[in-house]
Amino acid sequence: MSGAEIAEITGLTLRVGAVATAAILLPGIATGLLLARRSFRGKALVQAVIALPMVLPPVAVGLALLLLLGRRGPLGPLWSALGVELVFTWWAAAIAAAAVGFPLLARACEQAFAAVDPGYERLARTLGLSPLQAFLRVTLPLARRGVIYGALLAFTRALGEFGATALVAGILPGRTETLALGIYARVQLGEDGGALALCAISFAIALAAMLIAESWLRPQGRSR
Amino acid sequence: MSEAATQIRVAISRGAFSLDVNLSWDARVAVIFGPSGSGKSTLLEAVLGLLPAGAARIRVGGSWLDDAERGLRLRPEARRLGWVPQHALLFPHLGVEGNLRFAAGRGADLSGDGTLARAIEALEIGDLLGRRAHELSGGERQRVAIARALASRPRALLLDEPLASLDLPLRARVLRHLLRMRDELEIPILWITHDPDEAQVAGEIAVVIERGRLVATGPPREVLWSRAVLPLSEALGLENSIDARVVSTSALECSVETPRGLRLVLPVALPIGERVCLSLRAHDVLLSADPPGRVSARNVLAARVDKIELAQGDASVTLDAGERLVARLTAGAVERLGLRPGSQVHALIKAQALRRIA
Repeated sequence: MSGAEIAEITGLTLRVGAVATAAILLPGIATGLLLARRSFRGKALVQAVIALPMVLPPVAVGLALLLLLGRRGPLGPLWSALGVELVFTWWAAAIAAAAVGFPLLARACEQAFAAVDPGYERLARTLGLSPLQAFLRVTLPLARRGVIYGALLAFTRALGEFGATALVAGILPGRTETLALGIYARVQLGEDGGALALCAISFAIALAAMLIAESWLRPQGRSR
Repeated sequence: MSEAATQIRVAISRGAFSLDVNLSWDARVAVIFGPSGSGKSTLLEAVLGLLPAGAARIRVGGSWLDDAERGLRLRPEARRLGWVPQHALLFPHLGVEGNLRFAAGRGADLSGDGTLARAIEALEIGDLLGRRAHELSGGERQRVAIARALASRPRALLLDEPLASLDLPLRARVLRHLLRMRDELEIPILWITHDPDEAQVAGEIAVVIERGRLVATGPPREVLWSRAVLPLSEALGLENSIDARVVSTSALECSVETPRGLRLVLPVALPIGERVCLSLRAHDVLLSADPPGRVSARNVLAARVDKIELAQGDASVTLDAGERLVARLTAGAVERLGLRPGSQVHALIKAQALRRIA
């Protein structure tokens, strides 16, 4: 296995993870804020549905995405009309990674926002700030550790995503082959050396991300 | 008749609790007095615009903030009210200076002689500017919160139990700062408290609220001692409250004089001219029918009995000793001395019984 090949697989994996995390960042923050600050009918159901991709077999999530993104699914005519082909591209890998990472991010954000005393926001309002300004200048900075922690979790989860990705993106060398898929493919082909090399890279990236998360980002109780 | 400068009409219910009051006054500094759970903080939140819109009609210091009939409802950020919440709520991600600049705007002048600079000086927080919020003591936090509220150049200042989270020795210091601020400011102040000492010294008018309803309103020292409010204010620890100024001093003690000429000796040396607020427990006032001989009590005051109220073996004797003072005796003692309204007595007060609260 060549170094160029390893670099290509690593680069693609990081790109999939980064795009997935960037795409879910705003919706994840918004969902977390909604769940932390508002009470509404059916909130428990919403929370359960959001958590689903975290607990379902990833392959089941993959199948659901295949139906949604595929030409033969209910949205097929839309994709045809737009002329976009998502299935078996790295975009599909990113979408699969986003789907499984979203619950981790949204839940971390919910916890982070719930730990911020709403009194700070109210106080900021009385000092002349609009609700959005109060959120950006007070609540978000106070919850930042939890939000970044959630984003890191989602990112690392994206790096390891296998089941859903294999189904919607396939394992196409140079196009959709991420580290996790690459390891599986190498093992299938009996290329244990290549599989181990990819394993080592996965290990290094995951360890670095978790070290950052655990050492200085882990939310420590209520921020005051 | 012109309209009162401050009017608050609020009707809100939350489950079993409801707040339904219609208040108005012209005084600049008003104390909202009542036990915890009486609706004081809810009232404040309504004024701040932080509660869901109800049938509110609110005007503070001559400006309308809410008028449901005219469809007027200012957003919290448009009300320009300086709120000092009970637990200060200093933004923990900003330092002291950051908190002040947050309220004042980025280019604010912290030295000069603007509102903020004067507040920093009066509250003596100049040395704290470089600190983080969590490094401050309770009293420091409260003073910074007051300065922050003033930094936004509010049209009124709203204090929610500003001393409640502080321990006793600190309270006197922060209360002194607050009273100095109060006298320096020209804006209306709404001062919430459940402490009768504080209520008596803080405002020109007291508004008494219990279980979400108005009980009484008027000058604090009259209202808190009135028949309608007395059971409530006594339950919250009502005692005699005396305002005075130091007129002479020695190494060991000083003499203070009240506005109406009552002189008292305090067991501390204080600079001449300093203003003091004293609290005196009614239990600590001894009465003597005859002029006492050589006694250790440093204060012996000639007084006239105005009123005697008996309740369950206890007697509250209201005296005119230059200022109004209340002595609490047993009913048996009242009988033995033959006290009745109009009796001339001598009130004995140990210097140590006069506790300085500001």
